[in-house]
Amino acid sequence: MEMEKKYGVYLCKGCGIGEAINFESLQKVIKKEGKIQFIKEHDIMCSPEARAMVLEDIKPEGEGINSLVIAACSPRVKYEELDFPNVLVERCNIRELVAWTQEPNNEHTQALAEDYLRMYCARVKKSELPEPYQSECDKTILVIGGGAAGLSAALEAANNGYDVVLVEKEAELGGYAAKLYRQTPSSFPFTTLQEPTVFKKIKEVQGHPKVRVLTKATIEKIDGEPGLLDTTVTVNGVEETFQVGAVVMAAGFRPYDATKLTKLGYGLSKDVITNVEMEELAKKGKIMRPSDGQPAENVAFIQCAGSRDPEHLPYCSDFCCQASLKQALYVRQSNPNATAMILYKDIRTPGQSELFYKEAQSDPGVMLTKAEIEGVTLAGDGKLNIAAKDTLLGENVIFEADLVVLATGLVPVTKDETVLNLGYRQGPGLPEIEEYGGFADSNFICFPYETRRTAIYAAGTVHQAMTIPMAMADGIGAALKAIQAVEHVAEGMAVHPRGWDETFPDPFMQRCTSCKRCTEECPFGAIEENEKGTPFFKINRCRRCATCMGACPERIVSFKDYSVDIIGSMLKSLDVPEIEDEDDPNVPYRVIGLICENDAMPALDAVGLHKLKLDPRVRFIPLRCMGSFNMVWVSDALSRGVDGLILLGCKYGDDYQCHFAKGSELCNYRLSKLSETLDKLGLESDRVQQYQIAHSDFDKLPQIIDDFVARIKEVGPNPFKEL
Amino acid sequence: MAGETVIKPDLQFVNRVIAAGGDTVKKCYQCDTCSVVCNPTPDSKPFPRKEMLQAQWGLKEVVQSPDIWLCHQCSDCTVYCPRGAKPGEVMGALRKMCIEEYATPPQLAKMVGDCRYLPVLIAFPVVLLLFMLKFTGMIGVGSGLSIPAGPIVYSKMFPTFWLIDAIFVPAFFFAAAVLGKGVLTFWKDLNANNPWKVRVEGNLVGNLIETLKDILLHNRFRLCETTYTRSTNHLFLVFGFIFLAIVTTWGFLNEWVLHHESPYFMFSPIKLLAMVGTAGLLYGIYNIIKERKANAEKAGFGSYFDWLLIYVVFAVGATGLLSWLFRLVHIPILAYPTYFLHLTSVFFLFFYAPYTKMAHMVYRTVAMLYARMSGRGF
Repeated sequence: MEMEKKYGVYLCKGCGIGEAINFESLQKVIKKEGKIQFIKEHDIMCSPEARAMVLEDIKPEGEGINSLVIAACSPRVKYEELDFPNVLVERCNIRELVAWTQEPNNEHTQALAEDYLRMYCARVKKSELPEPYQSECDKTILVIGGGAAGLSAALEAANNGYDVVLVEKEAELGGYAAKLYRQTPSSFPFTTLQEPTVFKKIKEVQGHPKVRVLTKATIEKIDGEPGLLDTTVTVNGVEETFQVGAVVMAAGFRPYDATKLTKLGYGLSKDVITNVEMEELAKKGKIMRPSDGQPAENVAFIQCAGSRDPEHLPYCSDFCCQASLKQALYVRQSNPNATAMILYKDIRTPGQSELFYKEAQSDPGVMLTKAEIEGVTLAGDGKLNIAAKDTLLGENVIFEADLVVLATGLVPVTKDETVLNLGYRQGPGLPEIEEYGGFADSNFICFPYETRRTAIYAAGTVHQAMTIPMAMADGIGAALKAIQAVEHVAEGMAVHPRGWDETFPDPFMQRCTSCKRCTEECPFGAIEENEKGTPFFKINRCRRCATCMGACPERIVSFKDYSVDIIGSMLKSLDVPEIEDEDDPNVPYRVIGLICENDAMPALDAVGLHKLKLDPRVRFIPLRCMGSFNMVWVSDALSRGVDGLILLGCKYGDDYQCHFAKGSELCNYRLSKLSETLDKLGLESDRVQQYQIAHSDFDKLPQIIDDFVARIKEVGPNPFKEL
Repeated sequence: MAGETVIKPDLQFVNRVIAAGGDTVKKCYQCDTCSVVCNPTPDSKPFPRKEMLQAQWGLKEVVQSPDIWLCHQCSDCTVYCPRGAKPGEVMGALRKMCIEEYATPPQLAKMVGDCRYLPVLIAFPVVLLLFMLKFTGMIGVGSGLSIPAGPIVYSKMFPTFWLIDAIFVPAFFFAAAVLGKGVLTFWKDLNANNPWKVRVEGNLVGNLIETLKDILLHNRFRLCETTYTRSTNHLFLVFGFIFLAIVTTWGFLNEWVLHHESPYFMFSPIKLLAMVGTAGLLYGIYNIIKERKANAEKAGFGSYFDWLLIYVVFAVGATGLLSWLFRLVHIPILAYPTYFLHLTSVFFLFFYAPYTKMAHMVYRTVAMLYARMSGRGF
C-alpha cells in the first residue's frame, strides 16, 4: 500500500561537522534545490534526546515524517541509534567524507557538503521503505554425508531445535572416521591414541528424535530455492521426495587412487599398501606382511604419496602426517622390536597436533627423515628397497623395508561428482570447483562454508583437506550458517553478506527482452527462465548484490531503495559549476566516485578516521557491489557535465575479494565495452576508470584519487559541460 | 645400486644412546639450529645435526666418527635447541659409546659405564691395597690396624715398592696398553670409514705437535660461548695434572735413581710444584662442579659418565691435599687412612682410565690429529 511520503532532513552538528560547514546555507540548498522544507539540526544526532525528537516527528498523528535523510556520520556506524522503525532512513555521510577529510569552512568544503545533501534529497524521493519478501519456509536442514563433518552438523542443527535429514550413501554412518583402528589424540595432552571419536557422534545422531537418518541414500535432485528446496533421494533403490530449507554438504572425500602411484611401488608387491589399508591391517591385530603373514619388522611410510605433487594432487591433504605418525605407533605397539621409518617432504602437524608429533617422535623405534623418493623396487629376499635422494642421511640412500605404507591423500568427492544435482539453470553442481582443486570452497578469508549457491554450505573434507576434529568443527560452523539461512529466509531477509537487507529484486517484466544477461551473470544462479525463455527470480536464492541490475540493458531490475533510477537521480542532482580558468589550482572539476560498500566504503571511512585529506572535487556514491554498476550512469554523469568517474571496487581475478564473487570482475568487463563507446563519442576513456581497493589500502586512497583528478585535469573539462 | 648407502635402522643402538645419557635424542626434528650456533664445527658437513639424526636412526658408525670428538660440549647447541633435544648431551653419550667400543675387555667398559657396578669397581683397589698391606704385614687379622708411631711418613705404612710401585706401575702400563690398543683401532677405523681421508701423509709428527699445541692452549675449547669459563677451569685441571705428573716422575727418580726419600722439605722445588699442581687441580675441578650445576638447566646436567670422572678427580685432589695437611699438623689417625683413600682414588683414576671419560685425552687428541691431517677445517 502506497503511503504519502513526508520528508524530513536531520543535520548533525557533532563530531566537528558543525565547525566545518555553514549550516545556514546548507539549509537553503535543502529547501530550494532539495525541495524539503522540514529540516532539523541537532548537536548530537545519536543522543537519546535527538532520538526522542525524531521519534516524536515520525508519529503518524504528529508531523508524520516517514522518509528521512540523516546527514551525519557514515552509515557503517551508529546503526542502531539512527535506525527508526517503519520509516525510510537514508544516511548521508558528511562526517567522514566532508568534515573529517576537508578543510573546514571553505567554499569547496561547503560545495561538497551541499552536493551530498542534493544527492540524498534526490535519493530519498526515489527510495521506498522495504517490505520483506514473504514465502513459505521449511526450516528442515538437509545434511549430505554421514561422516565426521556431517554427523557434527546434524547434531548441531538438531540440538538447536531444527529437523534434520541426514543422507548417507553407504550402509553405515561414520565415513572414513569410523574405519580407523585408532584416532590421533584430539584432546590434551595429545599423546595417547584414542577410539575413533565419531562412534559417539553416530550414537547421538541415531538416538536423536530430530534427526532422520537415511543410509544407502543418494541425492537425485535438489530444486526450488532456500526455504523451499524440493529434494529427491533414492533410499535403497526407492525414490522419496521431501522439502528442506537449507543444506550442509559434507560429502567427504575418497582416498587418492594409489594405482596411479606405481613409481612408489603400489601394485608391485602385496607389501606396498595405502594408509587406508594399513588401518584394516591394524584392526586385525598384530601388523603382518600381507604377502607372507610374517610380522612386519621394518615399516616404511612414504609421505605425500600423491599430495603436493603437480602430477597428482597439487595440495597438502592435511591428515596424512598425523596418520602416519599414528600408524608408526601401531607398528611399535604391535611389535616392540619393530621400527617405523617415516620419509617425508615436511612434517606438517599444525596446532596442538605438534604435541602428538613430539610424542610419536620420542619413541625410540620411530625414525624420521626428509627424503625425495625416487622409487620403490623389490629386493631379492622379499623385502622392498626405497631409493631416495636429498635425505638428511645422505644424498642417495636406500631404505630397506619389509612393509611400505603410502600416505595417500584425499580427493573431495566434488572433484568429479556434482553431489547436489541441483535443478538450477546454471548447472547441477557448484560453480568454479576447479579453481579450488575440486573442493567446494570459496574465498574463505571472508566467508567460510559459503558456496555460490545460497543456503548450501560446505563442511569437512569436501570443503578443504582437514582432519577429523577440524571436520567436526567445520560441521558445526556450516550447520549454524544453514540455521541462519533458513531464519533469514523466514524473515524475508537476505543472507550473508547483506544479512539485514529486506529488499529484493522486483523487475518490471513488461520491458524484459529475455536477453538472459541477468541469468548468465547472476553469481548465485538465482534467476531461472520459464518455458518461453523469460527470466524469473527465485528470490530466496538471491543475495541482493544487484548484479542483475547492473547487467540489464533495459534497466528494469529495481530494489525498493536501490535502482538505476535512484543512483541516476543522485548523479543528476549535482551542481556542476562552469570552468572559467583551467589553470586555477582549485578549478571546480567534478568527479563522481562510485564505491563498493563492502571494501572501498570502509576504506574511505578509515581515511576519515585517520583525518587524511581527500580532494574536495570528488563526490562518492556507494554501490551494493560493483556488479550493480549500470553503464547508463556514465552517460547520466557525463551529460550532466561531470568530468570523470572513478570506480573503487574489490580485487578480482583468481584470488578475488569481491563479496559477491564476480561483481568487480563484471564491472570491469562492462567498462571495457564502455571505453570503446566513449572513444567513439570523442570522450577520453580515461575519464572513467576502475581501481581495485581493499579495506586495508585506505592509506593509498587519497593518492589514488589525487592522481585520478590530476589525470582529469590533463584531459581537460568535459566538453558536454557547456551544452 | 652402487654409490648408494643402504640405511638399516638399529633400534638397539638407539636404546643404548638413550641409556648412555642421550635420552633426549629422539626429540630432535632436524632444524639444524645446533650446527648453526656451533662454533667449533667445520663449515662442511657440520656437527652435531648429522650425529643427532644418525643416533636417532641407530646408525652405529656414528661412534667411529671423528666429529663426535671435535665437539667440546660447549652446549651452545643445547641452549638454543628449540625442542630440548640437548645435542651436547647426546654427543657426550656418543663419545662414551665410542670409548666403550674401543676398550678391552668390553665387559669392564660396560661396568665402568653403569653406576650399578660402582661398588665393585671401588672394591677392587681397596681389596688390592688391603691385600698388599696384609702381605707386607702392616695389618693382620689378629693385630688389626696399627698406626705407625713417630713423625708421619707414609712409606712407614705403605712401603714404596709393594704398595706403590708394584701396584701403580703395572696399573699404569695396563691402562696405557688398553688405551693404546683402542686408539690404534680407532685411528684405523677413522681412516677406513670416513670420507675425509688423511691427505698430509708423512707429517704425522708435525701435525701432532700442532694438535698438542691446540690442546695445551685449549684453542678450540675457547670457541665455546655458553660454557666459556669451562675451558679456563679445564686448563687449570690439565696443568694441575701436568705438574703432578712431573712431580710423580721426579719422585720416582728421587726414589730409585737419587735414593732421596720423601717427605721432602716444605719449600723444595718438587713440593712447590706439587702444591701448585694440586691447587690448580682442585681449583679447576671445584669450578667445573659449580658451573656444571649452575648451567644444568640450560646446558644439560651431564651424565653419570661425566660425573664419575669429575668426582674421581676431585677425590684424588682432595685426599692428596688432606693427606698432606694431616701430616703437617700431625694427626696420624686421620693421615694414614686418608692416604689409603688417596691411593684408592689414584688407582681408580689411572687403572680405569681407558673406560672412563679420562680416555677422552687420547681419543680427542687422535680425532683432532685426524681432523687436522684430513683438512677437516683446522
